[in-house]
Amino acid sequence: MKIRDLEALNSVRQQGLTKYKPARPRIAVGLGTCGIGNGAEDVYQAFTSAVHTLGADVQIDRVGCFGFCAEEPLVNIAIPGKPLVILNRVKPQEAERILTEVLAGTVDQARALCKIQSWDHLTGVVDFGEGFPDIPEWNAIDFYKGQKKIVLRNCGLIDPEDIEEYIAVGGYKALLRTLRNAEPERVIEELKTARLRGRGGAGFLVATKWESMRNAPEGQKYIICNADEGDPGAYMNRNEIESDPHNLIEGMIIGAYVMGASEGIVYVRAEYPLAVHRLEKAIAQAQAYGLLGEDILGSGFSFHLSLVEGAGAFVCGEETAMIASLEGRAGRPRPRPPYPSEQGLWGDPTDINNVETWYNVPVIVNNGGRWFAQTGTERSPGTKVFSLVGKIKNTGLVEVPLGTPLKTFVYDIGGGTGNGKAVKALQTGGPSGGCVPVDMFGTPVDYEALAQLGSIMGSGGMVVMDEDNCMVDVARYFVEFTHSESCGKCAPCRVGLDHCLRILNSVSEGRATEADRDALEQLGPMIRDNSLCGLGQSAPNPVLTTLRYFRHEFEDHIQEGNCAAGVCEELFLTPCENSCPLHMNIPRFIQLYKEDRLEDAFESVIMDNPLPASTGRVCQHPCDDRCRRAGIDDAVNMREIHRFIADSVYGTEMEESVLKRLLERKMPPSGKKVAVVGAGPTGLASSFYLALLGHEVTVYDENSEPGGMLRFALPEYRLPKAVVATEVDFIRRLGVEFVCNIRIGVDKTPQSLSKEFDSVFLALGTWEASPIDLPGVQCTGVYHALHFLDEVAHGKDLRVGQRVVVIGGGNAAVDSARTVARLGADVTVVYRRQRDDMPAIPEEVDEAAEEGVKFMFLAAPHRVISDGQGRVTAIEVQRTTLGEFGVTGRRRPVPTDEILRITCDSVILAIGERVDTVFTGGSSLDLNRDGTVKVDRYSAETNLHGVYAGGDLVTGASNVSNAMSHGKHVAEMIDERLMGENRFAALFGSYTYSDELPDEPVAGGRNSTPLLPPEERRKSFEEVMLGFSPDQVSHEAHRCLRCDVKDECRVGAAAE
Amino acid sequence: MPNQVKLKIDGEYVEAKAGESVLDAARAAGKFIPSLCHVKGLTPVGACRLCMVEVAGIPRPMPACTTTVQDGMVISTVSEKLTRYRQMIMQLLLSERNHVCAVCVSNGSCELQDMASKLGVTHSEFPYRYPRLPVDASHPRFVLDHNRCILCTRCVRVCAEVEGANTWNIMSRGVTSMLAADLNGNWGDSETCTMCGKCVEACPTGALAVKGKAVEEMTKNTDAVSRLATARGGTQQ
Amino acid sequence: MKKVRLATTWLDGCSGCHMSLLDIDEGILKVAELADIVYGPLVDIKEYPENVDVALVEGAVSSVEDLEKVRTIRERTRIVVSLGDCAVTSNVPSMRNQCGVPAILERAYLENVTAEGQIPREVVPQLLPVARPVHDIIKVDVFIPGCPPSAQLILNCVADLCSGRMPEPSLRYKFG
Repeated sequence: MKIRDLEALNSVRQQGLTKYKPARPRIAVGLGTCGIGNGAEDVYQAFTSAVHTLGADVQIDRVGCFGFCAEEPLVNIAIPGKPLVILNRVKPQEAERILTEVLAGTVDQARALCKIQSWDHLTGVVDFGEGFPDIPEWNAIDFYKGQKKIVLRNCGLIDPEDIEEYIAVGGYKALLRTLRNAEPERVIEELKTARLRGRGGAGFLVATKWESMRNAPEGQKYIICNADEGDPGAYMNRNEIESDPHNLIEGMIIGAYVMGASEGIVYVRAEYPLAVHRLEKAIAQAQAYGLLGEDILGSGFSFHLSLVEGAGAFVCGEETAMIASLEGRAGRPRPRPPYPSEQGLWGDPTDINNVETWYNVPVIVNNGGRWFAQTGTERSPGTKVFSLVGKIKNTGLVEVPLGTPLKTFVYDIGGGTGNGKAVKALQTGGPSGGCVPVDMFGTPVDYEALAQLGSIMGSGGMVVMDEDNCMVDVARYFVEFTHSESCGKCAPCRVGLDHCLRILNSVSEGRATEADRDALEQLGPMIRDNSLCGLGQSAPNPVLTTLRYFRHEFEDHIQEGNCAAGVCEELFLTPCENSCPLHMNIPRFIQLYKEDRLEDAFESVIMDNPLPASTGRVCQHPCDDRCRRAGIDDAVNMREIHRFIADSVYGTEMEESVLKRLLERKMPPSGKKVAVVGAGPTGLASSFYLALLGHEVTVYDENSEPGGMLRFALPEYRLPKAVVATEVDFIRRLGVEFVCNIRIGVDKTPQSLSKEFDSVFLALGTWEASPIDLPGVQCTGVYHALHFLDEVAHGKDLRVGQRVVVIGGGNAAVDSARTVARLGADVTVVYRRQRDDMPAIPEEVDEAAEEGVKFMFLAAPHRVISDGQGRVTAIEVQRTTLGEFGVTGRRRPVPTDEILRITCDSVILAIGERVDTVFTGGSSLDLNRDGTVKVDRYSAETNLHGVYAGGDLVTGASNVSNAMSHGKHVAEMIDERLMGENRFAALFGSYTYSDELPDEPVAGGRNSTPLLPPEERRKSFEEVMLGFSPDQVSHEAHRCLRCDVKDECRVGAAAE
Repeated sequence: MPNQVKLKIDGEYVEAKAGESVLDAARAAGKFIPSLCHVKGLTPVGACRLCMVEVAGIPRPMPACTTTVQDGMVISTVSEKLTRYRQMIMQLLLSERNHVCAVCVSNGSCELQDMASKLGVTHSEFPYRYPRLPVDASHPRFVLDHNRCILCTRCVRVCAEVEGANTWNIMSRGVTSMLAADLNGNWGDSETCTMCGKCVEACPTGALAVKGKAVEEMTKNTDAVSRLATARGGTQQ
Repeated sequence: MKKVRLATTWLDGCSGCHMSLLDIDEGILKVAELADIVYGPLVDIKEYPENVDVALVEGAVSSVEDLEKVRTIRERTRIVVSLGDCAVTSNVPSMRNQCGVPAILERAYLENVTAEGQIPREVVPQLLPVARPVHDIIKVDVFIPGCPPSAQLILNCVADLCSGRMPEPSLRYKFG
């Protein structure tokens, strides 16, 4: 049936509406490639057979994709008179139940994702109905909230294989109007008003291109749709064609008419079979309805549209290469000018536009350019579809107005990583784009802003990266891609990328030098400026942006052979070892323990980590986050295993025996003297290694005993003083001298020390409270958390009273609260964010709650109230709500007007610590503004020759293991300087142990250490975590998957 | 004259024919612009990227061989940046394959070798790739040594555009691109090759050579190819 | 004026560059005025000395011995000159790079010998997997390409270097 006029179109429209919004219930399954991949085909079959079984009068249809890939399969339920309900993650076995409900005129509201009461297709509004109050409207849920569907206006709603449904929602109306009005110039005017820019990435003004085509001499002209979407992680075009193919066809016919082309080609990837199938079907239908072919809609205008499948070369997305490919030649670009609009396919004027550009055409013709320009920004109007993928909770296709900031994509729409890890960067534009770091997530997405950052918008791929992504590897991956997709025609791209790849490979294998990195920085701009086509011109972007924004990661790989993300396999033993600040060889001590070699296991542990019993109790255990066992059940409890090993050895014959081994290994006296300032974890770790390296080590501390924060900040119930004393004593017996009650800056200065000693290591802690602007902070009864803990540790009897409020959410806050609880007071922790946002170790928070510690979240201190004597009587806190996302993905607490008063006798502030700069003793030591010491990133040397600094003094308040890692590193650096060679590796012994893997991993989840019962805990400062039993430690040790055992042969063979 | 345009090259006013390339105009004015893929008379391809020049108003350098002169154009053929880029590209070409001048038939009359000296390239900062590449000596009169090929496609174009035989093409892509006779058969088995030898004359290096030549014995007559191409009305911009 | 301490050395090369150096004929008198030749195949000193001002290095780095040599030279020399194509590009020695060391040794010591072929394992230094230009291993200050570089080019460069100047970039050179 050929449509020739409006009347005929309207009658088809009515016909289509009876299918799109039938009088009986309609169940439509989202059958895009994404849905099918998630089992939607089975769901469709299940519904079909359920209808058959139940004999139900229900219409079962296929639709495209509504965009929310993470929630596929999506099923639309339209019960006449009721809103369209979208169900997510539907399983085939649910079909009968859902169908039964539908027949009863309802859906399970708790089960639904969202509903649509009325949908504006922009070419026509469809009202479904009202009801289902418990289901959120579609744009009320996070994923769709910031979205505006112009391009995707029909996707996931209409049947893509039925032209009548497209016509039902106003399709081909714009075409009819264009042909009937016969004013092609008006279309160009509308496009000009709309300021529509090419959606393929370059952002060229569509009207300009079309106008020059229109003005080209009459004769054969071609229009081409570029659907050769090849960026890794980008699938917008696929989805658009699969879900709404007629929209493309209509846009192209309008374009052909305006430009005077009689032939059009859709160049689509062969890897998109479903899109090809649906588009072929759509073309056939359009021909059958008289919308394609000769004498379209009776206007006399003829246009033929065909489809060509690309052979899979990325470079064919470049327009001149695409033309070469269409002409049957190898897909290699040629120089422009002449532009295709002058000399294109077969030498005739040719217009090439991206899929999405064409999709915007009918709606602009229909609603006008002015309407279109209202959305988006001044220079980049309209919307853009992005595929949001990678380390993100809500993956999917997202259409937002241009100018939307990046953080909206990642946090509001995407929901963050969803695994508790921090987002690190966003890659836009695929291999031609760049990586934008988190602190630039405020940048609005438009053509110019992204280019400014060194990236591009590209066709719309957006890959989210978290802390597990190595940026060197990201750059390497993309260059590997462009390297293998380079056509080879011009030298800069062909050979230049080869050298780039070689260098990036060597960086990720730890073989690169700084000269290599410099070569990359030279090659990048050269390739960009001299390559023949867009592929080469943009190929260096991933390298240049990562070098610009993640330079430190390159430095880590080059200088230290360290890949913090744990991606570059040559650079680490296992993920746990790599995540450990001390780089403990974890699988080794676990295996040695399994082999009943407790002494060896302990030696292995203590050589990697000089305070194994203390860290075994208080480490933040980053290893847990990387353990591959978590992929089966839970991470191996590595911290408790090395605590068990240490606890079993200290105080026994074995301790003496290992001490003897270490003393035998100790290098002969070097004659060099080293002063370490601060006997905390940093200083202790460094002195352990410095002593073994044969140096004469003196450790100064202002306290009466060594141990620093371990001794005086960590409460007894977490880390008993006796444990610290044992470990300090072990280090003392290795030949370290401890001199207590010496305050640096007062009794001695860095300068005086550097005269007495060959090297000085400053390893002081952050004991000074960060300043806070809180009225009443000077009142009696207001404590700083570390001072409070320190005084308790010193045995002072603090009269905190009956009710105490602790402000803060870190470990110091939780430690203070649990200590207060043990002092017999009622304690409330006030934190301005929510529980999940607390930086404290989660287990500690749980234990605190068990001990009766109360928490008040979303509240910030407002002022402290005191009585006439200046004693605290209460604190006022201000309620906060969580506002906009910050660039790091945490919502900002926003104060409200609500003030609450909490009666209390004391207030403990745990809101951050800093360095007390007295220690500089007036020396010219270079400090940062926050009082931390400036050091060379790798040598850890300060601006004073031979004076080093590390630990909290450099990083600001951190944790025990990080502090110790500094101490370990500085010991190596000091020794290398003093002795003129690196002797550090020679300290460490080797062990022979089994590398047999069990056929099957040992079953059973993670063992947790038994805890003292909560009622006992409140009564005393007894240690809470009791440690593993021998059975537990054995089972836990056997849970290790031994990631250190690598089958070299097999890996090698696979690579060939 | 309507088909004459005026442009400024390195500060000098130069007249050129409309439609002419910047490269031809500049060379006619006695300017040196390096190039390895260009032969006058053959379709310019902009492959070697040595002829990049700066055009006022355009942020990126443009290839002189494929950029058409325009009235009022302001061109710089020399700048610190261009020199650095040209040297780097030259080094890329030297490092890509195995250019062992000492044992090459074209030693002493090789455009690649000359260009290195002209551009002041004394060595390659980029490590040599040392690929393993074949030598096709199956042809009765000529030899193809892939070790010396710089993929300039002069042979491909002269064969297609002047001789009309279309024997040569480039196969594969990226750094694995290779010159191929017919459908990648032996050159000697080619059914299209007319043995005219124009590809050999057009080749800037020792990649294509007359069989039996020893080191330094191979000299090329690219000018003759160029004259032929121009006389036949070969594509010109 | 204190005389420049000049060294020459010969790695994996044919000695042609040294021959060309000898071809400077009476130019040697000029060099002798400016420099003392403190080390090289032309003089009888076994150990590479300390505090060398200028070293001319001929040949590619092909063996572990070459590797040690260039590193010592770099440590003890102010200006290192890559002399000739083998040092600059690895040239003819690099023609074995595509084949792999075992294949090369077999061809040279087993297949192509007529009697009692055996691959030498002692005395002869071990070959590196590939022969490389000197500047791949150490920093090189001056490059003099050519196979060999002409006597005049060498003389000009050496004269410049011995007079405390870097060689003129306009000097005519060519690869091969």
